Amino acid sequence: MHKRILSLVFALWCFQAGQFALMAQEFKLLDRTVQVHGFLSQGFVYTNDNNWLTMNTSQGSAAFTDFGVNMSSQVTDKFRIGAQGYDRNLGQLGQYHPSLDWAVADYRLKSWFGVRGGKVKTTLGLYNDTQGEDFLRTFALLPQSVYPTDLRDATISHLGADMYGEISFRHRLGVLAYTAYAGHRNDSIYSGYPYYLSSFGADIKSYGGLQYGGDLRWSTPLKGLLIGASRMNEDITGKGSAINPFDPGAGLVPYSESSKADWTNQFYGEYVVGRFRIDSEYRRYWRNQELFSGTSESFADIRGWYVSGAYRICKRLQIGSYYSHYTISNIVGGALSAFYPPATDTTIPANHDYDKVITGRVDLNKFWNVKVEGHFMNGYGSGPYPNGFYTQVNASGFAPNTNALVLKTSLNF
Amino acid sequence: MKNHKLLSLLVVVVIFAPFRVIAANVKVIANRSVKVDTIYANEVKSVFLEESTSLRDGTHVEPVFEKDGPVHEAFLHEYLAAGTDDDLQSYYRALVFSGRGSMPKQLGSDAEVVAYVARTKGAIGYVSAETAVGDVKTLTIVSEGNGAQRRLITRVEPDYPNTLKRLNIGGTVRLQLTIGPRGNVEAIEVLGGNPILGESAAAAVKQWVYTASRSRTITQLSIPFDSQH
Repeated sequence: MHKRILSLVFALWCFQAGQFALMAQEFKLLDRTVQVHGFLSQGFVYTNDNNWLTMNTSQGSAAFTDFGVNMSSQVTDKFRIGAQGYDRNLGQLGQYHPSLDWAVADYRLKSWFGVRGGKVKTTLGLYNDTQGEDFLRTFALLPQSVYPTDLRDATISHLGADMYGEISFRHRLGVLAYTAYAGHRNDSIYSGYPYYLSSFGADIKSYGGLQYGGDLRWSTPLKGLLIGASRMNEDITGKGSAINPFDPGAGLVPYSESSKADWTNQFYGEYVVGRFRIDSEYRRYWRNQELFSGTSESFADIRGWYVSGAYRICKRLQIGSYYSHYTISNIVGGALSAFYPPATDTTIPANHDYDKVITGRVDLNKFWNVKVEGHFMNGYGSGPYPNGFYTQVNASGFAPNTNALVLKTSLNF
Repeated sequence: MKNHKLLSLLVVVVIFAPFRVIAANVKVIANRSVKVDTIYANEVKSVFLEESTSLRDGTHVEPVFEKDGPVHEAFLHEYLAAGTDDDLQSYYRALVFSGRGSMPKQLGSDAEVVAYVARTKGAIGYVSAETAVGDVKTLTIVSEGNGAQRRLITRVEPDYPNTLKRLNIGGTVRLQLTIGPRGNVEAIEVLGGNPILGESAAAAVKQWVYTASRSRTITQLSIPFDSQH
């Protein structure tokens, strides 16, 4: 109950801060300028079949809200600080439990070298660090094969430090930007993966661990073309309790899972020419875990890619389309293998999700936009790692195809 | 069939049509605390996209933008490779909401930009080439030819013909230089601007001397002529 009150207080504070900021997006504090920015987005999703993203979408659902407010200040020429609070409700996820999205102290010594520490957004591909801020893009939902919104917590930030910089090459060979990071990832118990585990009777109390990696992106000599690659390694532990799978009547037993190998490779490119933008990314996530204190083991190979195009017809209107391709294959070893046969055929709907999307975006003014988006999905890629489709909200099973209408509006200042 | 071809042509024309023809002529200005007189085009981009907070000599700079209008659009198009102000806003908002930057200062007119740059240490902005800038420094922009990394050792200022100055005829002259291995300017081509001012600029630049290099290099630069200054 007190969390609901806390959430309400946070929302009111955001609203107050928003009102204040709309009047003046900056103020002076100790002779330093402090900028205030925020956003609020509200969505509605209707699906013809299957409930999606933990919402009751087959009936139409508006449980699709997120908002955040940040403050930042350039303290000296090279030093800046800032923080952002974030909250969301996505069906069964988030549930209006506010979180500290990022809180950073950033010291930029030179263009080619800077460090930032605190709770830092993780650099992974083109959009990982801004995946919650849909007003930055044409689309209401990023391609879910690479940026699953229900698993935002898994990649969004780490408590640690980054080294970063940009190196300009001579002879017009472009600019190379690098980031190297290490820290601790901490998932909310209201995020997608703990919710997924709850379908097996697991009650997760903590989930997180070491996250480290790097990113290289090259702004090529060809104007508008950027290519890059990211790598992320993790050592994650989850703890809680679960129904004993070997003797369900015996009640709850301690549950744990931990990484034996956990890495993500991502390759991406972006090309912007005039009003036209093309993006493409490929992500492979390899996950080998010990389950139930090492009595079982799981191997999951998750691969996703997309190609998207967006075009600005005029100042107020954009259109876009993408194709998103997701597959998952999984093998369980040890004691649990009796319950979970190998699932390696990615041609069946249970192990893939192919999503064709069209979008229209209207900017009503500089701060307010409305989007209409159609998703035409084949497959539901339901496990052992979630991707939008959960058994808890699809008790009667899954249909192979899902069409979804997404309406979303966002305010930002 | 004919309709199909016409439709295809229309789609191609619409997709690849530029936003509008950019006609404005822009100059980059800086506060007197900025030590350099020239700035590379790639430095302009880095500074105005907050990829860099200092110039090559270590001077800290703070960019200031205009809010709207042809000068703003011309600057975005020419130096930042950004299609529109909306693209610029999206770029900066991505920095702001990921904790990696702040929104830049944006002012409503050339006069406001000049006034702000004049009173703010390290400020760097842009205005129309015709705008009087008073005590503010106008930076010569060097394009990214293969000679962009060669340092200028000797600089001779061009003469501003009195007749043109009296008639308030000014603007920016764009030149392409061929710099020899020893650093002397071997050839000059006037790429744009008033032809008389171009001739004057070329006569001065012919006397410039750059650092030596193993090979002959080509670079482009812009020289402003401010009739109010």
